[in-house]
Amino acid sequence: MSAGLEVTGLGVRLGRTQVLTDVALTAGPGSWTAVIGPNGAGKSTLLRAVLGVVRHTGTVRWDGVPLDTVPRRERARRIAYAPQLPVLPEGVTTRDYVSLGRTPHRPLLAAPRAADRAVVEETMARLELAALADRVLTTLSGGEQQRAVLARALAQQPQVLLLDEPTAALDLGHAQQVLDLVDRLRRTDGLTVLSTLHDLTLAGQYADRLVLLAAGRVVADGTPAQVLTPGALRTHYGARASVVTGPDGPAVLPVRD
Amino acid sequence: MPRRPILAVLLGTALALAGCSGGADPAPSAAPSTSAADSAFPVTVTGDTGDLTLDAAPERIVSMSASATETLFAIDAGDQVVAVDSTSTYPEQAPVTDLSAFTPNAEAIAGYEPDLVVISDDIDGLAGNLDTLGIPVLQLGAAEFLDDAYAQMTTLGDATGHRAEADDLVQSTKDRIGAAVSAAGGAGEGLSVYHELDPSGYSATSSTFVGGVYALFGLTNIADAAGQDTGYPQLSAEYVVDAAPDVVVLADTVCCGEDAATFAARPAYDTVPAVRTGRVLAADDDVASRWGPRIADLAEQVSQTLQG
Amino acid sequence: MRTRPVPYLAGAGVLLVASVLLGVGVGALPLPPGPVLATLADRAVRPLGGSVDGGLGPVQAAALLQLRLPRVVLAVLVGGALAIAGAAYQGVFRNPLADPYLLGAAAGAGLGATVVIAYAPGSGAVPVAAFVGALVGVGASFALGTAAGGSSSATLLLAGVAVASFLAAAQTLVQQRNAEDLQQVYGWLLGQLGRASWSEVLLVLPYLGAAVAVLLVCGRALDVLAVGDDEARSLGVHPGRLRLLVVVAASLATASAVAVSGLIGFVGLVVPHVARTLVGGAHHVLLPMSLLAGGAFLVLADLLARTVLAPAELPLGVVTAFVGAPFFAALLWDRRR
Repeated sequence: MSAGLEVTGLGVRLGRTQVLTDVALTAGPGSWTAVIGPNGAGKSTLLRAVLGVVRHTGTVRWDGVPLDTVPRRERARRIAYAPQLPVLPEGVTTRDYVSLGRTPHRPLLAAPRAADRAVVEETMARLELAALADRVLTTLSGGEQQRAVLARALAQQPQVLLLDEPTAALDLGHAQQVLDLVDRLRRTDGLTVLSTLHDLTLAGQYADRLVLLAAGRVVADGTPAQVLTPGALRTHYGARASVVTGPDGPAVLPVRD
Repeated sequence: MPRRPILAVLLGTALALAGCSGGADPAPSAAPSTSAADSAFPVTVTGDTGDLTLDAAPERIVSMSASATETLFAIDAGDQVVAVDSTSTYPEQAPVTDLSAFTPNAEAIAGYEPDLVVISDDIDGLAGNLDTLGIPVLQLGAAEFLDDAYAQMTTLGDATGHRAEADDLVQSTKDRIGAAVSAAGGAGEGLSVYHELDPSGYSATSSTFVGGVYALFGLTNIADAAGQDTGYPQLSAEYVVDAAPDVVVLADTVCCGEDAATFAARPAYDTVPAVRTGRVLAADDDVASRWGPRIADLAEQVSQTLQG
Repeated sequence: MRTRPVPYLAGAGVLLVASVLLGVGVGALPLPPGPVLATLADRAVRPLGGSVDGGLGPVQAAALLQLRLPRVVLAVLVGGALAIAGAAYQGVFRNPLADPYLLGAAAGAGLGATVVIAYAPGSGAVPVAAFVGALVGVGASFALGTAAGGSSSATLLLAGVAVASFLAAAQTLVQQRNAEDLQQVYGWLLGQLGRASWSEVLLVLPYLGAAVAVLLVCGRALDVLAVGDDEARSLGVHPGRLRLLVVVAASLATASAVAVSGLIGFVGLVVPHVARTLVGGAHHVLLPMSLLAGGAFLVLADLLARTVLAPAELPLGVVTAFVGAPFFAALLWDRRR
């Protein structure tokens, strides 16, 4: 059985600032780990370091293999990334954009083959993008675009999915739609999901494990119930809140004084 | 009586003085004068912008016009010239400096302490600037016809006190050109000529100075039919090939390295009659464009080309 | 935007062929179309031992085959090269204002040409000097950009601006010191195809061919670059390497075009935009579309340049600017809505 994702001793220095120090986490195969923390804690940087686009100290292993020994294309077949602010090219259709996800699976300069086209169609169908396939990407609504980005990541047929704030620009209903979708997919496809989420309640409801990052260090790591405590919230967020147990996990309720 | 002799002496002196001053009037002298400080001064000459009066023969002339330089040296006024601009490359003994005729600098010119500056174009208010510095300026612009060129030679002769040499120069130039035309013996009648100023096809029509020379030989000018308002139209390669000139004069040999061989090597130019009969004259750019005495050289070269 | 690019590509191809026919048939020299076709057909079948009668007389045939035909062919090559290079630059730098002259190519070529015109006229070295100058300009920009901090687009663009300004200043200096050559220099700078000949076509064909082939093949790769460096990396691509390859190919195409035609502006900027409105921003379609449309555009522009004031010729760069600028303005206006 796969050993999952293992991060040990991860440190990242950007310019003169030490953004991440000695970060360690493990994510078992098929699990959903949510990285939470106050602004500037380094959550996005953590994802990008795991992805391998930022220089870092320490090791990131997938299935026991250190990822920096794996060629980039190989890595891209295992890990997919949906950024918080994706660059959406102008003048391309949704289908063209989602097809970009097949890039690691074929020679760079070659045209998509039938197998690639099939995967793209199937992925778009699962994310209910079939009707929008021929529309220009930039004419889609925010939520539809978010689904398109997710579709592109899923078209890579990865084993690990890195999602940076997948619900940032979405209202509650659409946020839930996306998170439900990811949850469904990870169960059917066995995807390991590592995401950053700033909405603590949603994080608590969907993720198996939470990793609390503050000032570049891991300060708590465990189940949502273990990590989401009023004390932790006060110490690391400077927030006043109470935590109640909801039907699907702990819910964070802000408290006015 | 003591008063009468004094009156007589006074009267005689007055008469003698009157006689002497009469002798100082400018009088055309048939014999060539070797001294510049002649009875020819003060003289009033006419340039493009009006009259200019010179009280004495200029000894420190600065020439900013290549054609004027050639004429000045041809009329024996060379030792009155102290500086010429960078384009005045002929004759060799001309005192070339790096004064620029295209971007003239009045101060730089004044540095030579000239008593006469000859220019062909008033660029950047040069004439006004020199005027402010109190330096006499004679503007002799590009000649349109041969007669203009002769008139300029005469003007320069008057201005430098070498009128006689100037008259000789005018006569000899006319004679040489006349001889060249008769030597060609009508070989140019009915033939067409293409005068090339630069490889991109700029030419000169028969209404220009150099065009006038070709007309003397009875040559028609292919640039005339271009139907453009300027005396220097640009002719495309197709036009030249279609016009099939019988004689070609290249005035871009120095600036742009063209010669009969490169001309013939141009695509489709092997159909041009001038190339076929070997009547491509690779003239010196300066000889073919200046309006000084060497225009006779061009006429002679054209005559030779026509005679084969 | 349409989602079926094939009809547009086919249309562009037809337009190109039509432009070529028009360009060959029309010019300062009036040539009747029947004999023109007969002459062309005759030339075509001669190697096979055949012949076609009713062609043009020798002088007119020479004008057609040695002046006009290579000129039209060169217009196709140069227009296509500039357009595809422009589209590639716009893709690589994710900047719709990028044009093929961006990284100091124009300034370098201008300096090379001016130096030769001023100090070695008639040596025939202008095309080589322009070619080398263009590549030096791009190389210097690249070197400066990578030394300054990586191969990101923004750094490269800024390095290009610095290098271009320097080279342009040097060119102006040489020009001023040799004021009597001004007309020749400007003639070259404003772009012209008046010196077109078969030897020029053969001169640039290998470089153009290779560069254009590489660019066409890189179409899909450019699509990946379009999502930004980080995401491109996450898709398994090396953005820096890819950018280098595309820039080298596009610069080679640009340098070859500039070597024979001077600096013809607007083609590399406007044609890709027009192509984009017709077939969309997917580069594997946009690049070939730009290639075809650019060739057609320049043939027609050159036709205008040599017939409007016949027998004089307008500088080609002036025509493309006169036509291209209002077109561009119209495009921008359209985008507002």
